[in-house]
Amino acid sequence: MAFGVSRHSVAGMIGTLAFFGAWEALSRSGFVNNVMLPAPSTIVQSAWELILTGELPRHLGASLVRAAIGFLGGSALGVILGVAMARLPLLHGTINPLVQMFRAVPSLAFVPLAIFWFGIGEMSKIVLIAWGVFFPVWVNTYIGVRDVSPLLGRAAASLGARGWRNFAYVVIPGALPFIIAGLRVSLSVALVVLVAAELAGAAFGVGYLIQMSQQVFRVDQMFVGLIALGAMGFAADLLFEHAVRRLLPWYGAEQAGQKGP
Amino acid sequence: MNARVEIASPIAVGEPLITCIELGHVYDFGRGRTAALGSISLTIDRGEFVCVLGPSGCGKTTLLNILAGFVVPAHGDVRVGGHAVDGPSSERGVVFQDYSLFPWLTAQANVEFGLRMAGRAARERATIAHDLLGLVGLPDEGAKYPFELSGGMKQRIAIARALATRPSLLLMDEPFAALDAMTRSSLQAKLVEIHRQERPTILFVTHNITEALVLASRLIVMAPNPGRIVEDIRIDLPRPRRRTAPRFNEIYEHVARAIGLETAE
Ligand SMILES: Nc1ncnc2c1ncn2[C@@H]1O[C@H](COP(=O)(O)OP(=O)(O)OP(=O)(O)O)[C@@H](O)[C@H]1O
Ligand SMILES: [Mg+2]
Repeated sequence: MAFGVSRHSVAGMIGTLAFFGAWEALSRSGFVNNVMLPAPSTIVQSAWELILTGELPRHLGASLVRAAIGFLGGSALGVILGVAMARLPLLHGTINPLVQMFRAVPSLAFVPLAIFWFGIGEMSKIVLIAWGVFFPVWVNTYIGVRDVSPLLGRAAASLGARGWRNFAYVVIPGALPFIIAGLRVSLSVALVVLVAAELAGAAFGVGYLIQMSQQVFRVDQMFVGLIALGAMGFAADLLFEHAVRRLLPWYGAEQAGQKGP
Repeated sequence: MNARVEIASPIAVGEPLITCIELGHVYDFGRGRTAALGSISLTIDRGEFVCVLGPSGCGKTTLLNILAGFVVPAHGDVRVGGHAVDGPSSERGVVFQDYSLFPWLTAQANVEFGLRMAGRAARERATIAHDLLGLVGLPDEGAKYPFELSGGMKQRIAIARALATRPSLLLMDEPFAALDAMTRSSLQAKLVEIHRQERPTILFVTHNITEALVLASRLIVMAPNPGRIVEDIRIDLPRPRRRTAPRFNEIYEHVARAIGLETAE
């Protein structure tokens, strides 16, 4: 029903406008300290200034590069080890207890240790993000490869795909929905770990911007940082979804899910 | 060189395509042993259309899986086309009950899969796939993914896929069981037509006596515990077969008795 949809979107618009209008009014009313709660218009203005000075792009760029390298590194390792452990029972038996042990520890708990070991430079952040990203990708890849339909494997074998070709043409595509589910979870994990690592000590980055702004009582700039992070997460998810839909048109129809390990 | 050796083809004319000698299989897993197949000896000639009938659990799927190379028999000897069966091969096409199409490939790419594995050129693959899609009555559905196809369409794609590499043997395990009566009878007609044109040897497992009598040139009836052959009948009904023909009903009654069905009075 087109009418219902448009009515909903109008309602959503009114709700959003009312929220920001009330916020604006509250900040200007004098009932609350407008340093503690800056008006949306003030925040937009500071954002614009931060963009013009090049400060925001610099922080955002630094955060993006870290997140991207950490995400790529962690997910590559997760996929490789997930595939290897699903295919090589001996390897699985050897290192599964270790991986499970480390997986049980929340990755944010490693932030202080990583900074102690790798300093507050790029290394500690990338390692932490890769660490956090690794586990969901690993779990999903492992399950996806392990549970690939043996019937499809048989079908392929009876069509001449045995050995490594069975692996390349059936096992990997068959596991792809799970791998993608793991990657999607990891996208938000990467963002969380990124911010935690930057808050704990950095010379650049959106997390650092928020931290610094707090110390100089620039709540407006803290909000700018929050918005930048939200935009980053939103854009990453959108981009990911778009890429999946373009590259794997069959994916949406497959009911891929996450199962417990 | 001896001239006689030179003219001898690997499979001599008249030699059966399939030879099973005292084939037996036992599923053995911790809690118990199931004698899925007792001791089956069987030969099937090239071009035969064999239907295998029998009650649930009599070893039909086991027999088919052994012939396909998916299951290694506990004892006995299987030869297909003069070679001992050693794992699956594109010489033996399989059509599964649940279609088992690759969901990540389009219908056409599914049909081309075996050709791709055989290293055939893209152009040639496309031509063959196009012909086969036409043969199974889906000339315009090649670009669709399996999730966009109905059950009957998927089954036709699965048949086209199995035919693409021109296997000498087609193994089909209750391929039409999940389909509605209309789709089923149209696919039966298609399969009979394919068999008439291409002359593959077909081993077709079914629960349905009527289906078997419509399709088969030979009918094998099995019984369980242990799985064994109890009847082996040549079906010489003229084609196209009419289900109302008296001879059809005669054979139907006979087979129904053989598998222990109480026939309707
Ligand atoms: N993988 C397996 N592990 C253990 N037992 C099995 C296995 N597959 C089949 N069996 C047993 O072997 C016997 C024959 O099974 P099979 O699947 O060959 O029968 P079927 O004739 O195909 O039956 P249906 O008509 O129900 O498909 C049955 O008793 C079954 O329980
Ligand atoms: Mg069966």
